[in-house]
Amino acid sequence: MMNRIIRRIQRFKGWFGAAAAFCIFYGLYLGLFDSPPDYYQGEVVRIMYVHVPLAHTSLMAYASLFLGSLWYLWKRDPLVDNMCQAAAGLTVIFTALSLITGAIWAKPTWNTWWTWDPKLISFAILLLIASGYLMLRTFVEDPDKEGRYAAVLAIVGGIDLPIIYFSAEWWRSLHQPLSISMRGVSMTGDILLPLSIMSLGLNLLFLYMLMVRTQMLYLTNLLQAKKGRLLSQVHLTQTSS
Amino acid sequence: MTFLRVIQWVVWKDLISEMRSRETLSSMLFFALIVILVFSFSFAMDQDAAQQLIAGIIWVSFAFTGIIGLGKSFSAELQNDALEYLQMSPTPKGAIYLGKMLGNLLFMLVVEVMLFPLFVLFFNLNIVEEIGLLLLIFLLATLGLSAVGTLFSALTVQIRAREVMLPVLLLPLAIPVMIAAVESTRGALNAQPLTLYFHWIELLTIFDVIFTVVSFWLFELILDS
Amino acid sequence: MAIQTFHLSKSFGNYRIFEDLSFEIPTGECFALFGSNGAGKTTLLRILATLVRPTSGSFTVLGHDGVTEKESVRQVTMFLAHGSHLYDDLDAQENLRFAMAMRGQYPSHRALKVALDQVSLGAFSDMKTRNFSAGMKRRLALAKVILAQPQVLLLDEPYNALDEGGVQVTNQIIREVTQRAGMVFMTTHDREKAHLVAHRTGLLNRGLLTFSHTDQHPAHDIS
Repeated sequence: MMNRIIRRIQRFKGWFGAAAAFCIFYGLYLGLFDSPPDYYQGEVVRIMYVHVPLAHTSLMAYASLFLGSLWYLWKRDPLVDNMCQAAAGLTVIFTALSLITGAIWAKPTWNTWWTWDPKLISFAILLLIASGYLMLRTFVEDPDKEGRYAAVLAIVGGIDLPIIYFSAEWWRSLHQPLSISMRGVSMTGDILLPLSIMSLGLNLLFLYMLMVRTQMLYLTNLLQAKKGRLLSQVHLTQTSS
Repeated sequence: MTFLRVIQWVVWKDLISEMRSRETLSSMLFFALIVILVFSFSFAMDQDAAQQLIAGIIWVSFAFTGIIGLGKSFSAELQNDALEYLQMSPTPKGAIYLGKMLGNLLFMLVVEVMLFPLFVLFFNLNIVEEIGLLLLIFLLATLGLSAVGTLFSALTVQIRAREVMLPVLLLPLAIPVMIAAVESTRGALNAQPLTLYFHWIELLTIFDVIFTVVSFWLFELILDS
Repeated sequence: MAIQTFHLSKSFGNYRIFEDLSFEIPTGECFALFGSNGAGKTTLLRILATLVRPTSGSFTVLGHDGVTEKESVRQVTMFLAHGSHLYDDLDAQENLRFAMAMRGQYPSHRALKVALDQVSLGAFSDMKTRNFSAGMKRRLALAKVILAQPQVLLLDEPYNALDEGGVQVTNQIIREVTQRAGMVFMTTHDREKAHLVAHRTGLLNRGLLTFSHTDQHPAHDIS
């Protein structure tokens, strides 16, 4: 009684994984060896080829969580709920990684690990919301309510994020005149190509991980349900004999 | 019409209960007093520093005090499983949300209006001209906190570790309100021209409208199946 | 039919409470459900009261679907649960008025007084329910039924904590509901008291529901 979609994921996920691996390796080669160093930043600029695609992927991950939550509230399909749970975990991972790579990049270029930049603030809050989402899921006792409550949080967070970004931008323009903003890196083909290939690769990696994790959550629930049924059958035969 | 009457009755019920027990207001007030005391010890401030910091201090105390009130709002509905009755009553759940939200707004505003003179007193503020504007800012920012806070109070009251989860979920989402409230309060207290901080008041209004509508719509999913 | 269920199943996470329950209860009948602790009686009642969604299957209450037409079901149903649903800081009368307002009903002072007298709480109408005993809270819940006049009455262990007078009041209210072609569905452990009013009884055991008739005859046998 395995779900049709789960079977399809089982068949196609390998292709996503392979395509992700190819794009990431090719993009890394282009970014690390084939593209020129930056005039001002030198070799340090190469972390951009990891940092910017990671940031894109975290937004993609939260977008899937947001849309999945709307879909779940509409259809109440438990598989969609599993997908949301998987997407939330990946949002935490990708957001944390993009904050870490951002800090590593900021130290040599801006001479600081952290600055109250609107993008940084928004990503830090995104990390808080996604971690809060995972915490919430573990604290709901009634399994009927878990998916619903989590979806409500994801939707409120998704609507709030753009507002947080804009208010942080206004706030910053007030307190820190644009002294250490990112100086426009000229987007020539040398830079754009590895960036887009890395972005594609990480997004494919996200989709691959999303499939694997969704499948895992779904199958775990299925297993638990079967185990529960077997145990109650054993219990019934023991009490009736 | 029944919609409005349900709102009225929910507010009435919360007000009567509060007038008799004084549980929410007194705990909010005492907590806020302690926060103010701690702040005034933590920062030895001269007049200039106070002007810069006071808006932030005011809103940190208001937000934490508000969370106490919001948490109590729905834990009161747990007595005798009363929440269950609200869930299975044939009234629109949005009306119940608006009633609870207005009650919370009222409690928070009352506490804020009682506390604000203390800030004026302790930190030597000069507020004669801007008092009306300040009250408008308090109203708009508190409405924003109450709109999201009532939704999350209803959500966290039905889970484990609810005292922790309410601030953990609510405060990150309330960041726009906090920023806008602090900036506009600072502007008003320092007697800046309104044009310099009017956009923050606009932001508060936009936040209020969006999240009252969103929470109104999502509340049914929290209270009902 | 007052209540019809079709292949109703409920599981909490991995634990199955019951599976594939199909039964019907006609109007004018009082039905008493027995079963050991944990058999799923209360869960079944909570599903019929639209508090919990069934995992699968469906049910109708007076023709309204229990999942898609919840609001219509709630209009005609009243559920007296384990908790009394009272606010401890309100007095008896205020509690009744609030509870009725949540159902869109606004009873007059007279009606409130009559209802309170009927459950022998007339003398306590201005007392905060914080000071009420468990039995008094039960009686106050019964006053809600008198005021709301629901078509379908769901009772979870209605005789708990009640003295003899309270049991009589409960049974009298149950008879009133069935006599005006309503329906009563109760869960209880007290077979003796239930047999005084129930027309049919059921036993929920290991997810199976078996029926038997009692000596009582339905007032209005619509079916």
